[in-house]
Parts: sequence; structure tokens; C-alpha cells
Amino acid sequence: MAEKANRTHPVSFESPPSPTEPMGSHLRRVFNRISGFVSPWGRNQAPHGRRIFHREVQQEEFQYPSNSCLSSYYSVFVARLAIMVMLAILIGLLTILTWHFTRIYTTKSINSLAYGLRYELLQRPILRMWNILNSTVEITTAQVKLSEYVIKRYSKPTTQAQQVELYEVMMDVTWALFASRKALNAITINYRNGFVQAFHRDHRSNNTFYIFSDLTNYSISGSYNSNTLSSHQGWNDQSIHSNISAIWYHVPLDPVSGERIGKPKAIPPDDQINIAGLSQVPDGVASWHVAVSKYTDSPLLSAALPVWDPSNQSIVAVVGVTTALYSVGQLMKELVEVHSGHIYLTSQEGYLLATSTNAPLLTNSSTGPKLMMAIDSEDRVIRQGAEWLQRTYGYKFPPSHVVHVENAKLGHEHYYIDSFFLNLKRLPMVGVIIIPRKYIMGKVEERALKTLIILISASLCILVIGCVCILILTNGVSKEMKLRAELISHLDARRRAEASSNYKSQFLANMSHELRTPMAAVIGLLDILICDDCLTNEQYATVTQIRKCSTALLRLLNNILDISKVESGKLVLEDAEFDLGRELEGLVDMFSVQCINHNVETVLDLSDDMPKLVRGDSARVVQIFANLISNSIKFTTSGHIILRGWCENSNAYGNSGKFPLNQKASRSALKAKFKQHRNHAKRACKKNNKMILWFEVDDTGCGIDPSKWESVFESFEQADPSTTRTHGGTGLGLCIVRTLVNKMGGEIKVVKKNSPGTIMQLYLLLNTPIEGAGQHCQLEFGEHSLVVLLALSGSMGRLIMSQWLRRNGVFTWEASEWNELTQILGQLFRARSSVPNGGLVMQCLPSEPLKTEAPNIQDTRASVFVIIVDIGLLDWSTDIWREQLNFLDKYHGKARFAWILNHDTSNFIKMELRRKGHLLMVNKPLYKSKVVHILEAVIKGRDLEMQGKNVNGLKSTRIEGDLHESLEIDSTHFEEVASSDDSDRSEMGSHKSVNAYHFAGKQKDRIKKPCPSQYQTANSCLVEFTQVYSTENNLRTEDPHQIRPNSHDAGNEGHKLMCNKSTSPLTGAECENCRCQEQHLISTCPKEHGNSYSGKTVNGQKSLEGLRILLAEDTPVLQRVATIMLEKMGATVIAVGDGLQAVDALKCMPGAEESRGKCLLQDGRTRCQTQIRDSLPYDLILMDCQMPKMDGYEATKTIRKSEEGTSLHIPIVALTAHAMSSDEAKCLEVGMDAYLTKPIDYRLMVSTILSLTKRMA
Amino acid sequence: MDGVVQLQRQLLDYTALLFQEGFLNDQFTQLQQLQDETNPDFVVEVVSLFFEDSERLLNELANTLDQQSIDFRKVDSHVHQLKGSSSSIGAQRVQNVCIAFRNFCDAQNTEGCLKCLQQVKNEYSLVKNKLETLFKLEQQILAAGGSIPM
Repeated sequence: MAEKANRTHPVSFESPPSPTEPMGSHLRRVFNRISGFVSPWGRNQAPHGRRIFHREVQQEEFQYPSNSCLSSYYSVFVARLAIMVMLAILIGLLTILTWHFTRIYTTKSINSLAYGLRYELLQRPILRMWNILNSTVEITTAQVKLSEYVIKRYSKPTTQAQQVELYEVMMDVTWALFASRKALNAITINYRNGFVQAFHRDHRSNNTFYIFSDLTNYSISGSYNSNTLSSHQGWNDQSIHSNISAIWYHVPLDPVSGERIGKPKAIPPDDQINIAGLSQVPDGVASWHVAVSKYTDSPLLSAALPVWDPSNQSIVAVVGVTTALYSVGQLMKELVEVHSGHIYLTSQEGYLLATSTNAPLLTNSSTGPKLMMAIDSEDRVIRQGAEWLQRTYGYKFPPSHVVHVENAKLGHEHYYIDSFFLNLKRLPMVGVIIIPRKYIMGKVEERALKTLIILISASLCILVIGCVCILILTNGVSKEMKLRAELISHLDARRRAEASSNYKSQFLANMSHELRTPMAAVIGLLDILICDDCLTNEQYATVTQIRKCSTALLRLLNNILDISKVESGKLVLEDAEFDLGRELEGLVDMFSVQCINHNVETVLDLSDDMPKLVRGDSARVVQIFANLISNSIKFTTSGHIILRGWCENSNAYGNSGKFPLNQKASRSALKAKFKQHRNHAKRACKKNNKMILWFEVDDTGCGIDPSKWESVFESFEQADPSTTRTHGGTGLGLCIVRTLVNKMGGEIKVVKKNSPGTIMQLYLLLNTPIEGAGQHCQLEFGEHSLVVLLALSGSMGRLIMSQWLRRNGVFTWEASEWNELTQILGQLFRARSSVPNGGLVMQCLPSEPLKTEAPNIQDTRASVFVIIVDIGLLDWSTDIWREQLNFLDKYHGKARFAWILNHDTSNFIKMELRRKGHLLMVNKPLYKSKVVHILEAVIKGRDLEMQGKNVNGLKSTRIEGDLHESLEIDSTHFEEVASSDDSDRSEMGSHKSVNAYHFAGKQKDRIKKPCPSQYQTANSCLVEFTQVYSTENNLRTEDPHQIRPNSHDAGNEGHKLMCNKSTSPLTGAECENCRCQEQHLISTCPKEHGNSYSGKTVNGQKSLEGLRILLAEDTPVLQRVATIMLEKMGATVIAVGDGLQAVDALKCMPGAEESRGKCLLQDGRTRCQTQIRDSLPYDLILMDCQMPKMDGYEATKTIRKSEEGTSLHIPIVALTAHAMSSDEAKCLEVGMDAYLTKPIDYRLMVSTILSLTKRMA
Repeated sequence: MDGVVQLQRQLLDYTALLFQEGFLNDQFTQLQQLQDETNPDFVVEVVSLFFEDSERLLNELANTLDQQSIDFRKVDSHVHQLKGSSSSIGAQRVQNVCIAFRNFCDAQNTEGCLKCLQQVKNEYSLVKNKLETLFKLEQQILAAGGSIPM
């Protein structure tokens, strides 16, 4: 990735410079990223040990997202960059192309135009020049022709006069020609004899002169004849110059008429004009040359032609015509005035002939004016142009001298330079035109520049906008990418977390295995101990307590496992029906033991409308309250802990939001409401079987600071840091509670309390079974006119109890201590005896004004007095309690006594109470169902009395015995349910309870044998009769010893009471009998024989008699041990080494199947089944899970597959060394029936095997 | 007869010591309970099975761990077997080391595995010595005509 980022650099540098600025910042960022990116890389590779593993994992978790973010960022960045670069290139190309085409074509067309223009411009002066030359030539030719004509007329002049006449004629003819041509500068005729006639026109002064030489010096004859072609040399300039001595005359003429207007003046011979001499026409043809004269500032064009004599053999005269080139310059000026620029003409040698400027064309030297070279011209442009041409071409002009240069730099400006060559005979000329480039291309170039600028700026704009668009567009994409990267990193982090949590669960698996094994041993041993008959009561109580605590500890262990489950989101709540009230009662029973030691009162206050049965996870519900109550106990040193519960059906759910903090008022209001509409509520619940159950745990402890009301539910959070020191605990409890409550669709919070302490309020959303929803505890005590005296030390419990009783139509009095009790008793019974019919006003009662109910007291004779006395009210320090008992004895006939015992109340006292006939005894704490039992027992007793049946003490003994037992069962049942509902029941439950569980599951029967004391062994074999199980019940009634009085049964039927099956009057003497009966029962029911397994029983020894078991185990040691174990119990064991062999061993089954088929044809189905069982090779398979070749899971799958389509199902029990429930789940998933952990606990193994084989049977 | 009684006491003490020092646990007691007239040499039989099995496993473990690329799954299954058999006879300390061994194995920690192998060997030879001594004592008692106290 770093490479990738690095690779982007050159790209970004190469990219067009336009987006440089954003690119720069990007680059800087990239560099930062890279530098930040490299360093964690190094850090990651730091060597690490196993110990810092966790921290390292965390570190990685923190670093990883940033890394992957970076990678995605880079990829986005690179993509963006690429798109931008491409856009830039595209736009740049477009710009360049556009500009190029527009510019090239305009330039081309304009250039061709310009070329034409230049050509034209130059052509015109050259044409003029040509014209001038032509006219000069014409005139010259004309003059020559005229001269020839004239001379022919006057040929051979012999006399001076003739000669003069000839000259006169010549002068006139010449004048006529000269006058006709204004442009001519001069016409000269040089005769052979040296006479010269000339007309000269001075353009500056506009004067015309006639110049002639003095005739006197010339001989008329002689020279004509002798002048031959061969003597041409003689006719040279010397002849003229030799005439220097001759006198020249200069006569001004009228320019129009030609009249002489002045006197001839003598002038030096060659002063004014050039006289064309013979030397200029040596070969007799016309000649040209450029001359200069003193009187003109422009060069002159001279043409000379010889005049031949009539015989055409000799030249008689030479005619010269001189034309000023002035007009050419004039034309050029005119041209240049229209089109700027410069034009000049030079001779081939470079002498300037004409320019478009006013610069002089001649230089004045000492020897007179001379022609000027173009490079010496005073005009800057012409000079520079000439210099440029010379520099560029030197003297090697291209053939024809044509040069077209478009971009010559002269000085600081660019010019077009074009030259043309005019090839005249003897006078080749070169025309040069210099036009500033600006003049032609200026606008075009300006336009082109403007266009370019506009194009560039437009493309820049487009580029910028495009980049912005790309940024905006890709921003969304990059955001998405970032999110995705984050998601990926989160997934990765989760994967890591899961991996580390796998380590944790592995650790927990080992932990649970190692911890639960000893715990299971402890509990098992305790169960054995409990079943031991030789324990004293104290020992029994202690052992029971240990048993309870061990169970709690085991549950705690499981809870810790569960928390990790909850945290990993794997917790699945059970959905089973359970008796909420009973669970909570059991819980309060358990905690009350702890609370009594703390001097704290535990009160359970459930409203009557609470559904009896709810669906949910009972273990978790109990866990919630156990945590809450234990938390309360921790912080409450004195006072009370109340667990309140009430019901709010879903219709009233809307009110829950504004749940009042003043709970008491609201609760009573709610209660009243529910009381009024109880039936209605019931119906509502039936329709909508989700129920909101409100609970609160109210304590009088130190309370929680309001600022911590939220945070106490966090993990490892404690309201006060000193808590751990003083109270211990991990701070996990409330966290678990909240998690569980939330999981059950509820909420928990701390609410304000006026008095010191804390109220934790929560609600749970629980299902109620449709048929069970209406099963409220319907209590109608009102018709029995009961009067209850509550003599309880705990004020809160008493208050709540009396309120509840009163609501149910029972009159109550309350007493909190002995003296009060005696006082009330005295008043009550005195009043009753003294005023038999009078209305007793109960103003003596300190706490409860019952005036309104007073009239009812009139009925007191018919009413039944129940006195519930806390045993703590008696004074145990001395022997006073005997006195007190005796005192109470006085009222024995008038009222029923029910005693509330402490858990540590000694057996002696119990016996003493029993001896005195106080047979109604319940353990603390007192809650509703116990009171209901008491009252029902009392009512029953009274009913029996009223029916006039043979009532004796034994009867009541029985009832109370029942009652006692039933209460006992309550508590044991609670444990059992708790354990069986636990997820890891096979491990944590005692062997016995597991046993019981297995059979309970299959036979819907619960056989318990808790033998707490000698007395109770008599009642040992208890069967719990609920409505559901009553049919099973009938099985037992076969027993001749078990006679049930119908009346009693009928009396009980309406209530959900437990009933002792051995209803025959039980005396101490019959104890043995009962035992026999039990034995008998066991022996008559051989199938249940094994079920009633107990540690010391002899029956268990050969319990597996006749079973054939296939053992698949690879470890020889284990194989041997298990074999011996099983064989010892009478089973036949076939051991195999791996799963493959196990599968093979089962292959003989098809034969059995066939026999089964025949069986089916022949006999009835039931018989056949038993035969099949016999014909099956094995009754059960014990399967090790981890084996070579084929492991237990695979083998099981194979076996189950082979069983498909048949009704066969061979029980397979897994053997594994792991103790996690996930292993169990895996075992069950592949089709195993049960699950045993190594090392093999042989009792557990036996019970498991039995349960499975019995089920088959 | 005194000698027998003394030997018996010695055996009991020795057994108690073994339990106390954690070499053995309840599982061994269970084994002993399983021994009766039908299987008079059950414990010795099982324990010698254990010895054979363990020696084989330890050799294989040593071989496996000696290789360049260690097959941890193989090691794991070996250790698992060793753990199973040791727990079956109640050789608690071997079992405990096996648990640690498996953890290292899961973590693919070669060093830890080698260390654990050393420990397992150590523990194994210890428990082997102890058990052999125990059986020798028992044999002496039987030879002296006494019965083995349980």
C-alpha cells in the first residue's frame, strides 16, 4: 500500500500544473499519512509474549481501523487524482487543438493575402519604373530616328551655314520631343565633331535651359568620313573632355514655347548635365545607366543611343536621354502613405534608386554627389532591412532575387521583407518592400492571443469546476468507502474479539469443568449424608444448609458462565411454565436465614392478582431477585427487606410510563383497582397473555446516592468504593440483573424513597399460560369468620400480613411482644366471656382501629381464633418460656395456635411444643401461602369438629403433619425446580435430584425421600399431589396400606394442597410399618426400583442386570474402567476401540429388524416391542466423543442415519472430557440421548443408563 | 502378624499420603472399589494399562514435538487421550499438567508444549513410581498372608 501511495507521487508531479495547488496539500497529507503509517507497522512487530496478549489485541484493534482507513483513503485519493489528471489532459488537448486550428488557418489565409498585397505593392513601383524606362527608351528611339532623318537631309554639310542649319533643325526637333515629355530631365545630342546640343529641365526651379557648345572649335568636315567603326575608340570621352577648352553656353528657355528668354551664358562644360558620349554606346546599341546630377537630389536614369549615318556605317551622333527617378519615389511614397511600410529600389550592386522615404538618395562627396548604398541609407528601416538582407543572404541572392521573409526582426519589430528582381538589360534592379508585421498580422495576433487567453482561462475554469465536481461526486463514494472500510475493520475487530472470547470460553470450559467437578462431589456427598439416618437434628440442619449453600455456589458458578454467555449474546431465555410465587417464596425462605442473622426482616408481599403460573425462565427470574435481595441484605444492617410484586395487565401498560414514585399510594390504588376488577383483569389477561409484572425490592439500608442511580447497574460499578472492603462483592450483581431484566423485556431503576434505604423497581414482561392465567389464589376466608392474632416480632411483615388478611375478610389483631400478646388475649377472651352478645369495641388495640368492623365481632362465638405466635416472642434466656407456654395453654381450647419457628429452633423446643399440642408450626418467614395453609388447616379442623366426626388429637396431628410436610416439600421442591431448570443440571444437581428429575420427566411422578427427623421418617414416602398428577396418584392407592378418607380428600381437592399419601393415622409404632410399606412399594414396582436409588441402597448393585452395552472408547484405561464398572452392575459390555468398530458392531441389526417384522405380523404390537428389545444386539451405546478413525459424533450420525425409516432408536450416551453445555448441545445435536463427563461418575452413569433403557421399555 | 499389621498401616499411610499430595484422587478410590473377587487384579491391570498407554503416548508426543513443523492437532489429541486415561485412574497431577499442555497446544506455543511434555513425563514417572511402590506394598501384604485394607 505504501508503494501504491508512493507511486502516485510521480504521477501527481507529471500532471498538468493547473491543479497544482490542491495537489500540493494532498501530497502533504499523503506524506503525513505515510509517515504515520510506517511507524505503527514497526510497532506491531514488536515481540510479544503470551502475557501481554490481551493488551496487544486491544492495541491491534485500535490500530487496525486506522490502517484500513488509510488504505481506502489512498485508493480513493488515487482514483480521484487519476480522474482529475485525465480531465486536465482532455481539456488541455481541446484547448490546444482549438487554438491551433483557429490560429493556423487565419494565419495562413492572412499570410497569403499579405503576400498578394506585398506583391502588388512592389509591383506597382516596378511597373512605373518600367514605364519610365520604356518612355525614356521610346523618346530616345524617337530622337534617334528624328536625328537620323534630319542628318540625312543635311548630310554632308559642307558649309558652316549648312552645318548651322542642321543644328538649328536638330534643335527644333529635339525641343519638340523634349517639350512633349515633361518627365524628361535632359536630352543631349553629341555630334561626332564634338558639338553638343542639349535641353535640360530643372525640376526644382522649373526652369528649362538650352545648352550648346561653341561651334567655333569644331571642324565641320573630316571627322564624319574618317569615323569608322574601327575608329570607335577615338570617339570616347576624351573627345568631349578634350573639348574642355570649348565654351559651353547656357540659354534659359521658356518652358512652354521654347523661346529663348535670356542671353546665353558661358558655363563650364560638364557643369549641368551628363552628355552621353560615344563611350556609352560602344557597340552601337542602346545603353542604360544611372547617373547623378548636381541639380537633382535623386538619381537619374540615362539612356544613350547612337545615331547612324544614312549608310548606316558610322555613328554620327549619340543621343542621350535622362529621366529623373523622382517620380518612382513619389509613387512609392503615395503607396506607402496608404499602406504603411517602406519600399526601395536598388541597383543590383545595392545602390539606392528610389525609396518611399524622403531620405536623400545621394551622398555629397568631395567629387560631387554619388549614389548611396542601401545599407548606408539614412532611413533606419531601410538600412536595417538592407543590412538584414545582406546579413542573411550576403551576395548570394537566390536566383531571380526573390525573397519572401515573413518574420524578420529589425530592431525591436518584426517585418515582412519581400524583394523582387527586375532584370533590365544593363540595369538590373532589385525592389525591396518592408512592411511591419504588426500592420498585417497585428490584429490577428492580438486576436489569437486573446483567444488563447480566453481558451486557457475557460479551460482552467472547466478544469476547476470539473475537479470540484469530481471531489463532490467522489466524496460520497469516498465516504461510503470509508464507512465500508470502517465496517470491515469493525468486522475484523469483532472477529478478533470473538477469537479472544473463544479463548475466554475455552478457559471457562476448563474452569467450569475443574470447578464443577468438585462441587458436584460436594453436593453428592452431602446428599448421601442427608440420607443418612444417624444424623442428629443439628447436624441435619447444618448439612442441609451446606447443601443449600453448595447449590447456591454452583449456581453462582453457572451464573458467571451465563454472564459470559449474555455478554457474547448467546444467552437464550427458556420459556417454561413455572410457579412464580413458589419460586419467590423459596427465595425468601433462603434469604431469611441470612437475614435473621443480620437482624433484618425479610418480607414477601405479592398481590393476590399475581398469576400463579407464568412462562419464562424461572432460573433467571430467581437469579434477578436473588441478586437484588442479596444486594439489599449486604447493605441493610437492621430493618426490613420487602420484595413486593404486583401485576399490571397489558391494557394498563400505558400507565407504566408515569409510574409514580410515591409507590405506596399508587400501589394501594392499583391494588384497589385490581381488586375491584379482578374478574375483568382475569379476562383481559386471558385474551392477551403477555403480562407486565411489577416488582420492587425495598430495603432500609444505607441507600444509594441519587447521582449513582444509573451507574450502579454498570459492570464493576459500586456506589461506594469502600463497598468492596466492607461488604465484598464484585459489582457484577446488578449488572447481571439489569441485563437479564432487559432481556426479559423489562426495565429496572432505582426510585426515590422518603425514608432511608433503597427501592429498586423493575418490571418484567412475562407470558402467562392461557389456561393458567386465571388461576389466582382464590381465597375466601370471609365466610369462615376467622379472627387472627398476629404476634410477630417483625413489624413490617406483621403490618403487611394483617393488611392482606383484612382485605381478605379476616379480622386481625397485632402484637409485637409478649406483654402485648397477653394483654390482647386477656381483653379478647374476657370480653368474649363477659359480654357474650355485646359488641366489643376494640379500642384496646394499639395499632389498628377496627371500629367499622366491630359489629362483626358480635359473631365472635362462631368465629375461629387463630393465634400466630413468633417463637421469638417467648423468652428463651431462662425457663420463663415454659411459663409462657403454660399461659398460652389456657387458651388452647378457645383458639388455634400456629407457631413461627426460627430455622435454628432446637428440636427440643419443637418436641415440647408438639407435646403441648401445638402442632401447627411453620418456619420463618411468614408469607401468604403459609398463612393460607395455616388457616386452611384451622378451617378444616373446625369443619371436622362441626361435622361431629371422631375428632381426636391424632387427627389434628395428622393434619399438622401434613401441613408441615407440605411446607417442607415446598422448600425442597423449590430447590429441585431450581436445579432442574438450570442449564447444567446434570452437573450441578445432586445425583439424587437428577435421578428424580429424570424420572419426573418421564413418569410425571416425584418420589422424594427427605427424612429430616425420626418423626418425619414415618411420613417418608411423600407424593406430591397436584391436580395434574392426581391420576398417577391412583396407582398408589392400590396399596392396601394407603387409605384415603374421602371427606378429607374432598376437603383438599379444592385447594392446591399437598397431601400425604400415607393418610392412615401415623403413630410412632407405625413408623416401621411405613418403612416396610415403602420397601414393599419398591419391590412391587420393579421398574421404579432403580429410580429410588439412594447412596446406601443394596438394590443399586445389580441395577443394570441383563443390559447389553456397547462401549466405544479408544483409551484402554478408560475402556477397562468403564467395562468393569458396568459389569459390576450386571451389564454385559462389548468394548470397541473406535467409532468405526462401533458402527460395524451395530451392523447385525438388520437381522433383528426382520425378526421384528415377523413379530409384527404374528403378534400384537406391544409384545413384539419387547421381543425386539431382546433381539437388538445392544441396549445402549456409550460413545466417547474423541476417537481415532471415526469420532463419536460421526459414529452417532452414521448410526442415526442407518436407523432412519425404522422405529429403532438405540440410546447413545456421550462420554466427553469437556463440561461445557455447548459440548452437550453438540452431542444432542448429532442424535445422542445423554451426556456424561469424564471421569465417569458411576452413579450418574447408572442413573443415566437406567433412565434411557427404561424409557425404551 | 505384627509385620502384616505394620505393612497394612504403612500401606494406608502411603495411600493417604498419595491422596494428600495430590498424586491421586477419588477416581482411584473408585477403581479400588470396583475391584472384587471377580476381578482380583483390576487396579493393577488398569494401572498397567495406563502405564503402557501413557508411555506410548509420551513417545509419540516426543516424536511429534521433535519435528520441524509440529502437528498441533495430533499433539492435542494425544494429550487429550493422556488426560482421559490419567483422569480415569485418578492420576490427578498428570491430568492437571495435561490441561495446561492442551492450553499451550491450542495457543500453538511450542516452547510451552515442550515444557509441558517435560512436566508430564516428570509427573508420570513420579506417579508411576508411587503406584509401583503401592502395588509392591500390597503384594508384600498379600504375600504375608494379610488382606489389603481399604
